Amino acid sequence: MANETTQYKDILLKGIWSENPVAYQVLGICSALAVTVKMSTAIVMSLALTLVTAFSSMIISSMRNKIPSNIRIIAELAVIASMVIVTDEILKAFFYDISKQLSIFVGLIITNCIVLGRAEAFALANNPLKSFVDGIANGLGYSLVLISVAFIRELLGAGACLGYSIFPNAVYDAGYQNMGLMLLAPGAFFIIGLLVWLKNSLSESNK
Amino acid sequence: MSEKNYDKNSKKNVIQFALMLSVICSLLITGAASGLKDLQQENIKLDKKANILKAANLIKGNQKPPKDELLRLYQNHIKEVIVNQEGKPVEIQTDDVLNLYYYHTNNSIDGYILPISTKGLWGKIQGYLAFENDGQTVSGFSVFSHSETPGLGGEIENAWFRKNFKGKRILNSQNKFVSVGIAKGKVKNLPKNLQEHYVDGISGATLTGKYLSEGIKSTLTKYEPVSISFRQKKLKALEQ
Repeated sequence: MANETTQYKDILLKGIWSENPVAYQVLGICSALAVTVKMSTAIVMSLALTLVTAFSSMIISSMRNKIPSNIRIIAELAVIASMVIVTDEILKAFFYDISKQLSIFVGLIITNCIVLGRAEAFALANNPLKSFVDGIANGLGYSLVLISVAFIRELLGAGACLGYSIFPNAVYDAGYQNMGLMLLAPGAFFIIGLLVWLKNSLSESNK
Repeated sequence: MSEKNYDKNSKKNVIQFALMLSVICSLLITGAASGLKDLQQENIKLDKKANILKAANLIKGNQKPPKDELLRLYQNHIKEVIVNQEGKPVEIQTDDVLNLYYYHTNNSIDGYILPISTKGLWGKIQGYLAFENDGQTVSGFSVFSHSETPGLGGEIENAWFRKNFKGKRILNSQNKFVSVGIAKGKVKNLPKNLQEHYVDGISGATLTGKYLSEGIKSTLTKYEPVSISFRQKKLKALEQ
């Protein structure tokens, strides 16, 4: 029993930190650039991706003995795409304002390599419960990076946090200016690069 | 789990699996889409009304009041009208009529709201542009749906961008029609005589601004007869 618990803990830790999908597996970079201009979109995107990864991993894992190996990618994508479309429909019906903000990005979860990556690398070889935990762990790992990047970009680029202005007007009067670069894609590249460097040097020193 | 002799890679099983999966997935999606359709339609209608009210400055900033409040405001202040190509009100909805909205307080018309529908960088931009009852001063602007990049072109739906439209004029000093547009960069860098026809652009979203300016211009040209009748002070009160 104790062995089981450590296994799950291991899966969680791997997904969130040591094999973080963005920083270590270098997956999902494109969406990390796109939705991190504001904290609010980053948080909803993280939530949506975590749920989609967890449930699609679970479903794919429960079918792993039936999925023919030569059409497995198509089968995985069919499951993922259906999950994403259903999520999108639910968002439109019950959280209309949020779904309007996310616009095309919910649909783009389908092409997020983390979902397919976890299905291929983990779900096909492990039982449904473990795959579910792995999906959650990788989703959280992605969220961690996404929300940190969004926090830095919104703070430096718009001087705000979750839409609330942080700096008093006196700071702007003294000559401070928001960094426009942070709102553009290159800003995200720099921050993600720096975060990956930071994460890897922290992991390095632990060894 | 599966029986020992189940061969997942045999031709029969591959086809069977593919068929099963497609049927289940399509049922799931169809179910979700048609089951939630009513709720989604209602959300869209409500959002449209909210944006008409935003254009008329009856809702301030980015906030969205609760449903009842919103419907009450709409009921009391907005009247949907149909006019023909010459700007005369008509009763029947046909293909070549123009739709617009009057906003009013106690039956005296404060101004009118035109629906804007134009192409953007990635997709259609739909919104509303409101005018005061002098037929030439913009009183507000709102965006109801767009697919521009969030944080860049997507900023057109935010209050800071929209509020710049207020007070801009569509006539120049010779009273000729010139429309309003989105500047490339800041308005204060433009020549003095153009400043009242432009709003601040969004950095990183030059094309969105360009398309939106074109769309506004073509819509305003189409609705010019309505604006003219407002300029001539023909429309003051709602007919009962």
